[in-house]
Amino acid sequence: MRRGWVIDLEKCIGCRSCMVACKQHNGQPPGTWWNRVFTPGSRENQVAPEKGKEYFLPVTCQHCANPPCVKVCPVDATYSTEDGTVLIDFERCIGCRYCISACPYGVRQFNWEEPKKTLYKAGYVENYTYGYPKDFRKDGRLVYMPVRFKGITEKCHFCVHYYEEGLEPACVRGCPGGARFTGDLDDPESVVSKLIRDRDGFNLLPEKGTKPSCYYLPPRRKENLSYDF
Amino acid sequence: MPSRAFHDEPDLWEGPPEISPYPDRRAGKRLLARDVKTLSKEAENQKIPGYRDLFVIITDKGSAILNPESLEPTHAILDGEFTVDLKGGNSVEAQTVFTELKKSLKDYSLERVASVTDVPARQIERIAVEAATTAPLHIIFGASNYQWYHGDLKGRALALLVVLTGNIGKSGAGISTYAGQYKIRFNLKEWWSPKGGKLNWVPYLYFLNGKGSRYPKNGIKAMVGGWGNPFDQHNMANRLKNMALSGELEFILTTDIQMTTSCQWSDVVLPASTWYEKYDITATPAHPYLQLQQPAIKPMFESRSELWMVRELAKRIDPDFEKHFYPELDENDAALRVIETVLATGGPESEGITLEMLKKGPVRLHSTAPGDRQIPFYEQIHKRVPFPPVSYPAALDATAKFVKSGRIEFYKDEDLFLELGEQLPVHKETFLETEYKLDPDAKEKYRLRFVTRNSLYRVHSTHSNNVWLNELQGDMPKVFLNGDDARERGIGHGDYVEIYNGRGKTKSYAVIDPGARKGTLVFEQGWWARYLNNESYNSLTMPWIKPTHEVYFVPGIWSPNTCWNECLVDVRRAEL
Repeated sequence: MRRGWVIDLEKCIGCRSCMVACKQHNGQPPGTWWNRVFTPGSRENQVAPEKGKEYFLPVTCQHCANPPCVKVCPVDATYSTEDGTVLIDFERCIGCRYCISACPYGVRQFNWEEPKKTLYKAGYVENYTYGYPKDFRKDGRLVYMPVRFKGITEKCHFCVHYYEEGLEPACVRGCPGGARFTGDLDDPESVVSKLIRDRDGFNLLPEKGTKPSCYYLPPRRKENLSYDF
Repeated sequence: MPSRAFHDEPDLWEGPPEISPYPDRRAGKRLLARDVKTLSKEAENQKIPGYRDLFVIITDKGSAILNPESLEPTHAILDGEFTVDLKGGNSVEAQTVFTELKKSLKDYSLERVASVTDVPARQIERIAVEAATTAPLHIIFGASNYQWYHGDLKGRALALLVVLTGNIGKSGAGISTYAGQYKIRFNLKEWWSPKGGKLNWVPYLYFLNGKGSRYPKNGIKAMVGGWGNPFDQHNMANRLKNMALSGELEFILTTDIQMTTSCQWSDVVLPASTWYEKYDITATPAHPYLQLQQPAIKPMFESRSELWMVRELAKRIDPDFEKHFYPELDENDAALRVIETVLATGGPESEGITLEMLKKGPVRLHSTAPGDRQIPFYEQIHKRVPFPPVSYPAALDATAKFVKSGRIEFYKDEDLFLELGEQLPVHKETFLETEYKLDPDAKEKYRLRFVTRNSLYRVHSTHSNNVWLNELQGDMPKVFLNGDDARERGIGHGDYVEIYNGRGKTKSYAVIDPGARKGTLVFEQGWWARYLNNESYNSLTMPWIKPTHEVYFVPGIWSPNTCWNECLVDVRRAEL
């Protein structure tokens, strides 16, 4: 079993609901986003690229099968589970940030100050927090806590807390376009395997040899339109 | 109807008491009764309402089309010039509106329209051909289209497209505005107290100006508001603040789900619970379903539902008033009772829909079209019900007075329209009667059109203070402009700039947008002034009132309009 997901760029409308759902469910403090949606070719959302077609590219942890972040972690805080999910043990992380440098996808975030302080500075009522309210341990390791320690790294954990409850990740449930799919990459009959096979699924930065578990389906939208005004 | 001719012949407006109250129909029938010698008997007897007055102006030259069965070739009915002989021996020249429209359109060659609009002729032609040949055609127009001084002319011109191509009353066809045209507004008469009590609705601009029709003679001393942010977002916010500071406005109460600028200016703030914390029923302009909003969590902090607030206020004003708000029930149960009442008495759209049904999921509202389809003007076309259809929340009789003939009025036969030369939709130059009139130098000083569009990250100004949504925008208000306009002013992508005109200024970051039209500056409306160094983007705009806007008056829908987009500015680099 290798847990993976597919993001259909044909269906992504760039609404950022996945970003917001992820941030809310996983209690990310102001300034921290595990999940981001880019507009390739344009520096600004809602501004058409000067060349090429407009599409949106959601990027989060790629849960690589050959994860550079795991290799560089000096304390084994970042590790891969049996199903290929890359997690961070918050109790082991020493905040060296080697993993941030090693990740070619730029998805890792760092807690430079106490999250509650960050919240307060952003205008929230003192001691107010949001997100999944309980700590979550996987194999005894603390991989989610609603309010993180100062000085540790964090990133997408593939909603491991919801997976244990049989629920899809927050971004999948929050996507109004139904552009995200999860499943077993080792099962050739799974939805994700079929989509990757039938729709020319591809990885980001394959030349890095990271072997991501996250696949993308190329956008075809607009290619067949023949506006010639 | 050839209304110009009738207008010039006032004696024709007098009619017997049994005639229609609508002026042009009355005039037509007057001719029918007395003046048209050559009228066929068939015309007098034909039974198709709405077409009757078309027949009136037809003489024996057009007798072939007096047979209702020959209605199909509508151009034959609609098109023509006639000499109508009057009993006194005089005659009057008449032409149909369609004929007059065709004549007026001769002024609008493809080349001229392309030149005026900057839209390539080929594109205009293509749209015209597609509009004429594609069925169904549905035009949806929003605020960017009509929030101009001559926005009413734009709306009328667009309406022509769907009507002339036969695209009304059919599934998928028609014309809609996306500006609060909800599929239902509940009739609250059953819950209204005191019974028979009436509101005096005054346009908001009249309130700020302290004068205008229906403005109370003793003025307005208290402001009780909610769910809006006029102390921040209105372009006469300064006037409102002055009214508060001077004591002219003696008491201000605001209820909202967030601490808006208006809350900060209020004497009393009542914190409202959000839609996830209370019961409500909701409908939208975008789909025909009614939904029950149910609380997912308990109200946060001190917030309460508006029903609870009003019940408590009512009790304090007069203990006897409390009985209207189900005092024996908690606020949730009371809300459900109110919902049951308005469902039962809300009108034909909600007939048969019960609370139990809504608890199971969204329920489709009823309509007069088959299968409860949402087909604009279905009744008017298929059941010959006079125009206009109801335009919620106004009562039908309030809007019907704008369409006195009960038909689609291509031709507006009212003094003001005649005076302005706007009997038919015509092109009028933007800014000529506004900015250039106010300041003849504006054309040189402020060379950019200032258009305020909706933001992807807010609902108008709601959520302007949402930390996450602001982060998604880089915590930076932005102005989008064309590369040529930017280069001309030495502005680069990401530069901090000041947008200014003779009325005000605001600052933001420049985004060079290849999609922005040259000469147009696009700003995302809704930013609260606190995020703009207290220099609101609306300090630049001006609440122009076009006289024809005052002909239409139904609060909240058709009323003196704030023409947000009728605004000229210029932009320059600024210091951080």
